[in-house]
Amino acid sequence: MLNFGQLLQRLTDAGLEFVLVGGFAAVSHGSFNVTRDVDICAVLTEENVAKLRQALKDWNPTHRMTPQKLSFLLYPPAGESVNNLCLQTDKGMVNILTSIKGVGDFQRLNAAAEEILVDGQKIRVIALNDLIKAKEAMGRERDLMTAKELRAIAAKREAAKK
Amino acid sequence: MDNPAQALEEARRAGIDLDLLDANLALSVKERWQQHDAVLELALKLEQAGQTRDAKLRPTASKAD
Repeated sequence: MLNFGQLLQRLTDAGLEFVLVGGFAAVSHGSFNVTRDVDICAVLTEENVAKLRQALKDWNPTHRMTPQKLSFLLYPPAGESVNNLCLQTDKGMVNILTSIKGVGDFQRLNAAAEEILVDGQKIRVIALNDLIKAKEAMGRERDLMTAKELRAIAAKREAAKK
Repeated sequence: MDNPAQALEEARRAGIDLDLLDANLALSVKERWQQHDAVLELALKLEQAGQTRDAKLRPTASKAD
């Protein structure tokens, strides 16, 4: 059964350092966006790929962009570098990206990220202003609409501070 | 980042329901996630139902073919 929150908590439990980005980050900030996948930004070192495997091993992770749906538990083999990962799991789709258009890489995102607490676990989420930049950089109709919604959320946050 | 009043006006003009946005912002992150997953589950079920219906509507090859 689909459960993006459980997916994120499993990644956190595995000790993977990541920043939640994309549509589900927009949902976390308060958007009505509905997305079919969870996007995270992380550094894909061999150690982090091993942590991802450990985290997802019970949920049949496969590379969803490969016609044969190769198992993530077997590919890429140890020592082979990887840039981005698009995985299908029993809990939903998860994309692991090494950089975000319009903003930058993990270090850049992590420096400004907001920390949210869910069931006692800290999850780092792309800063609202960075997410607006990322959505505008994507430039697709639906991303621009989400950016407008996120700008409204930013305005409401500002108003709440006063 | 923006002029807040202008951002709200642009959102309103784009058709974003600001009252619903307020209701969403009043939820915890966990509640937003749960709400999202429930909506997505329903959307996927409807999509599946539509595909099943469309498959039934497709003409099948006759025995003479």
